[in-house]
Amino acid sequence: MDDKSNLVTVPKDLEDLIPVFMSNRKKELDALRVAFAAADFEQLRQLGHRMRGVGNSYGFAQVSDFGKRVEDGARSGDRALLESTIARYDEFLSKVQITYE
Amino acid sequence: MSEAVAAARLARTQATAFRVLVVDDDPDMAAYLARLLESEGLAAETVNNGDAAMVYVMSTPPDLVLLDIMMPGTDGFEICARLKADTATAMIPVVLVTALEDQQSRVRGIKAGADDFLSKPVHREELVARVKTLKRLHATRRELESRRLAAEVQRKEALRRAFSRYISPRLAERIISDMEDEGTPFRRGAQRVSVVALFADLRGFTRLTESTGVAEVVGLLNEHFSVITDAAYRHDGTIFSMAGDSLLVGFGVPFPQADAAPRAWRAAHDMLRSFTSVHARWIKSGGVPTGLGIGIASGEAILGNVGSPHYMSYTIIGDAVNIASRLVQAAKPGEILVSGPVYETIRAMIPAGAAKSQGEVALRGKSGITPVWSITV
Repeated sequence: MDDKSNLVTVPKDLEDLIPVFMSNRKKELDALRVAFAAADFEQLRQLGHRMRGVGNSYGFAQVSDFGKRVEDGARSGDRALLESTIARYDEFLSKVQITYE
Repeated sequence: MSEAVAAARLARTQATAFRVLVVDDDPDMAAYLARLLESEGLAAETVNNGDAAMVYVMSTPPDLVLLDIMMPGTDGFEICARLKADTATAMIPVVLVTALEDQQSRVRGIKAGADDFLSKPVHREELVARVKTLKRLHATRRELESRRLAAEVQRKEALRRAFSRYISPRLAERIISDMEDEGTPFRRGAQRVSVVALFADLRGFTRLTESTGVAEVVGLLNEHFSVITDAAYRHDGTIFSMAGDSLLVGFGVPFPQADAAPRAWRAAHDMLRSFTSVHARWIKSGGVPTGLGIGIASGEAILGNVGSPHYMSYTIIGDAVNIASRLVQAAKPGEILVSGPVYETIRAMIPAGAAKSQGEVALRGKSGITPVWSITV
């Protein structure tokens, strides 16, 4: 993903929900790492499934994309895909720029 | 969110009676859905698992449930199926919200009773449109339900009025509450029952009608029937006929009463006591002296609708009725004549010295003899 992919536009009326949303994404990243280390593919699949559902709803299409990759990787047992996706998700969360409109 | 915005949102939320329960194990998803609903003026509550959802729905039933399918523990399919299986919650619309796109899951959702589906990511416009549609359906359903209930109340009131001509208000309530059962007594065919029959009759009524004006006779009869009917109802008797100056009351019918004979005795006692004051007023206004005689007998009888297709009467026929009829004909003013079996049941209730054996009596139209007791109170 290029730099533009770190830009997110969120509807104004969801602004007050975003701090909790972002905090939960960081907890989610930790959970992904723990599950990956334990090779818990079922837990990874569930986490990916949840990311896929919630991301787009808030305007975070990237979160849904990462979620789909995690879900696919967990289903196929593709450790390389999972590892790279988790790393890129970490990078996204550290660089994401949010605007409200 | 500013206080003003929050206050406005709260006011809008409180203004509507439409309440939505959002069930999603992802708190962000639940908060998002609740926010969209609130922005449309709906009240939204969130819970994060299936068990909490069941508790919430049972304690404060919402008007709509938005239900996530994939949840740890009890999943959305199971919750939906449980809600739809319970008559108390079956009418609450359930929208399954899921990231599952496959047809199989939709089919499973339909089988679980889901009213609609929403796919994640949830689009604001789609959510609002679906919820508004269900809200309209909900309002229509409520309106129809309230009309149905109003019609039901009217129907029961009409039945209550009709039944109250024959039976006590308590028995009427029981019959109406049993209306859903096939066993409603008035729908049954004729049946053999144990009954205690009570006849109450004015003594010297024929002489009275010959010497008294019509209006006065009718006035006396109305007062007479009012007090003895009240007495019958007080003890849950069922009135089977009111002819001339005579009243036939059954105890133990249409519902069995283990204490049918004591009830009949108490009713007879009340009838005589109430009639005393009616009679006193009658005499004071210059009426010809009369009196109330009562006959009580127990035994088997046939209970049911008897008559022709044009005129039918719910009545009791049988030996107990015949004996009670003979006894009332023989009763003097202020006297209660009871058959032997009735006396044996109520003897402990009768004041000392009030009962006197009449011996074994051959009643008119009866082949055998009947032990009869006379009670004067």
